Amino acid sequence: MKDKLKATADYLKSKGAAYGDIRYVCTTTENIKVTNQTVDTLAHDVDQGFGVRVLVDGAWGFASSAICTRGEMKRVANRAIQIARASALTKRADVTLAAVEPVAGRYVTAVEIDPFKVSLPRKLELLLGVNEILSQNPKIHVAEASMDFFLTDKIFVSTEGAEIEQTLTESGAGYTATACDAGEVQRRSYPNSHRGDFGTGGYEIIGRMDLRAHAERVREEAVALLTAPVCPSGPRTIIIGSSQMALQVHESCGHPTELDRVLGTEISLAGGSFLTLEKRGKLRYGSKLVNIVADATVPGGLGSFGYDDEGVRAQRFDLVHEGVFVGYLTSRETAPLLGQTSNGTMRADGWNRLPLIRMTNINLEPGIVSLDDLLADSDGALFLDTNKSWSIDDQRLNFQFGLEAAWEIRGGKKTQIYKNPVYTGITPEFWNSCDAICNRDHWHIWGVPNCGKGEPMQTARVAHGASPARFRNVMVGVSQ
Amino acid sequence: MIGSDRIHSALLAALDLKLGDQAEGVFIGSESGLTRFANSAIHQNVAETQSKVYFRVIIGKKIGVAATNSFTTGDLKRAYRTAARIAKAQKDHPHFVSLPQPSDYLAIKTFFEGTARFTPRQRALKVKSIIARAAKKNCTVAGSLSSGSGELAVVNTLGVKAYQRISTTAVNVIAMAANSSGYAEGLARNIDDIDFRAVAATAVDKALRCANPAEIPPGEYEVILEPPAVGALLEWVNYIGFGSKPFQENTSFMSGHLGEKITGESVTIYDDGTDSSAIAIPFDFEGVPKRKVELITQGVAKGVVYDSLTASRDGRVSTGNSLTPDASGEGGLALNLFVQSGQSSLPEMIKSVENGLLVTRFHYINGFIDTPHAVLTGMTRDGLMRIKNGRLRGGVKNLRFTDSILRAFASVKALSAERQLINAWWDSLGCIATPAMHLGSFRFTGQTDF
Repeated sequence: MKDKLKATADYLKSKGAAYGDIRYVCTTTENIKVTNQTVDTLAHDVDQGFGVRVLVDGAWGFASSAICTRGEMKRVANRAIQIARASALTKRADVTLAAVEPVAGRYVTAVEIDPFKVSLPRKLELLLGVNEILSQNPKIHVAEASMDFFLTDKIFVSTEGAEIEQTLTESGAGYTATACDAGEVQRRSYPNSHRGDFGTGGYEIIGRMDLRAHAERVREEAVALLTAPVCPSGPRTIIIGSSQMALQVHESCGHPTELDRVLGTEISLAGGSFLTLEKRGKLRYGSKLVNIVADATVPGGLGSFGYDDEGVRAQRFDLVHEGVFVGYLTSRETAPLLGQTSNGTMRADGWNRLPLIRMTNINLEPGIVSLDDLLADSDGALFLDTNKSWSIDDQRLNFQFGLEAAWEIRGGKKTQIYKNPVYTGITPEFWNSCDAICNRDHWHIWGVPNCGKGEPMQTARVAHGASPARFRNVMVGVSQ
Repeated sequence: MIGSDRIHSALLAALDLKLGDQAEGVFIGSESGLTRFANSAIHQNVAETQSKVYFRVIIGKKIGVAATNSFTTGDLKRAYRTAARIAKAQKDHPHFVSLPQPSDYLAIKTFFEGTARFTPRQRALKVKSIIARAAKKNCTVAGSLSSGSGELAVVNTLGVKAYQRISTTAVNVIAMAANSSGYAEGLARNIDDIDFRAVAATAVDKALRCANPAEIPPGEYEVILEPPAVGALLEWVNYIGFGSKPFQENTSFMSGHLGEKITGESVTIYDDGTDSSAIAIPFDFEGVPKRKVELITQGVAKGVVYDSLTASRDGRVSTGNSLTPDASGEGGLALNLFVQSGQSSLPEMIKSVENGLLVTRFHYINGFIDTPHAVLTGMTRDGLMRIKNGRLRGGVKNLRFTDSILRAFASVKALSAERQLINAWWDSLGCIATPAMHLGSFRFTGQTDF
């Protein structure tokens, strides 16, 4: 396959392309879902093809095909060139790319247990067993447990001489118990909502989740929420659990630091960003405790890889340092605007999609306090856990999150449980109200397998390291 | 285009391996292009040739699904064998009765050569004209224009043999002035049905009308929702409520309420894949013919949509709303939604409002807050305008809404006679055809400074 890609790169050069890359991707996917003791999804998919991205006449063209023959690659290369020439009809300036040293490299996810070699009966036994525990209360109407595995082989070749091969393995699982009674619906999930938690690695990730051990608690919490009082509204001190902190980072820091959004090129769908260029190095984004890094090199993160889809090495760099906004996620095209070279965040969700600036592992660095000490110091505060709903405006300022459950903190413990907690805020005000972040003992990298962006829509798998954190004077509930 | 004969024979050749009691093959293929523009220049411009074949093999009541995007004989047979292997490892599905029996399908014209063959250069020239129109009014534009064709085929061992060619085009434009923006969109099977000048002009006009937006407090307002705003609400309302899965799991606002009035009497919503005035398609991914399915009729909850598995659980027959075999655990979903139009028009609605807001569209809606009451939250975007004494009075800064859509739809005052096709996340498989809606009450709960 690599020889065919190299021949296509040579062909692009012969046609006068200023730059070109060809990316072959083959992804094998396995999805399993058990609902109320019925295996309602058990699907296996193999998807392969290649995409040609080319700069001609100072503009981009991209074409792709699932037919991986030499003839088709030439046809698609010609199509990409035609498309670039069409793009040039409206160009305002030639696209220029930050220089990078062409890499010849290989990256393979560290895997202890190949998830595709674990038998289906073994996987089903675990999911059905969890499902059975979740179902042992008549008020649980829906018990859902799932596993998802992805194996992606990529080959990247460019006209500059890059030749990169990568094999990425991603695994995840989770479950939800939905309790219903008298028109009330409540749910609890483990280890996270929206299909659970994910990472790069093999079936050992599933083993570490210890799925059975939490099922009884999850079931009983879902049932308890049916008769729990509605979470009180008003400005409150809140402690946010680490999985929700991950989504808070995702929506209010990850997306607004994508430089393509800042430059307006995602306006048509996802929107822009309040983190405009003049704010870099100046804006007090959060309190001094807030340090947020992008780190595609951290082992096991769902946003970890060896090289991005422009052939740039995975990197670690600051986005927010001691509360000050300092950096963006960039690409070879956008980084020169900052006088920089790419920090390696361009990824496509398949062979048939153009790489876009995507989050990697965007991590809120841990603080120094233990969770016990934080709870002891937070009498009367609310502890909010596990995302239920999310929404944020197109500049990433006004957000509203709903959670599965809240608890009042009294005497250093979580006491009264509340249903339907919602909190809302404005991004910099919110992060500036952060006065405690738990230490590394409570820090976890949460995989987010469904980050949407772009047209045609692309779904990226990204991650966020986070630990529970405390925020003051946050609006809880919805004003009517 | 591969064509029905080649697709059917390739799928049937795999089913001929006869490794199960019943089996099904589904083919989805597309040749598509999308031109994206921002800051008044094309910055992304893509083309794709893709196909996907799904096999569903049934052994007893055990179901296995496997897919491939390769159309070679060897890979198709490999995928079929994988589906059979999975079925063997499966547990019995308690609600499986049978794959669907053969049916007759309505002949619907869903393919237009001009749309299928629309070139990247033609798309670029359309975009260029949109850019030029905006530039005359000192606006920049962002958006996208897609065009392409596809093939959908379904066969099964009971004799189902369905095939349909489709073409689709969609355009959206955001026009940006100094401190305001406006939005418009178009969607059609036939690119000749889209008035690109009107789409561009509407977006630019809204951006200019919204200049220097004023700040207003959140609260309860009388609103006029333009079709893109209604469509965005219905995308979520559909997902949390009109499908068989949330209905059977009792998380839907329809669960336990069939026959009850749940919205205002002027609200009638139905699904109909056979209506070629929208983005029609004559059958679903099991080869079951589409038909009109009443969801809410004159405010009364009438029913939900089913695939064959969830239909058998309720002792019913499929309504022709299955998803692809890999998503069969999600039950039926309405992909061809219609909101029945009324007698009014947008200018008449505006004239009738003493003090209210006009919403062009919403952004980033989420409907998981409280599904039994259909509570949604989201932001306004690209054209929120004040209405005073029957006239538009300029833009206002964007607001967050959080409200029960059933409550809001109980306050419908008028619906426009004209409907617009709104593009939904399921793209070329359907859309939401909706009029503008005039609501007596809609709850805004937060604000922004832009």
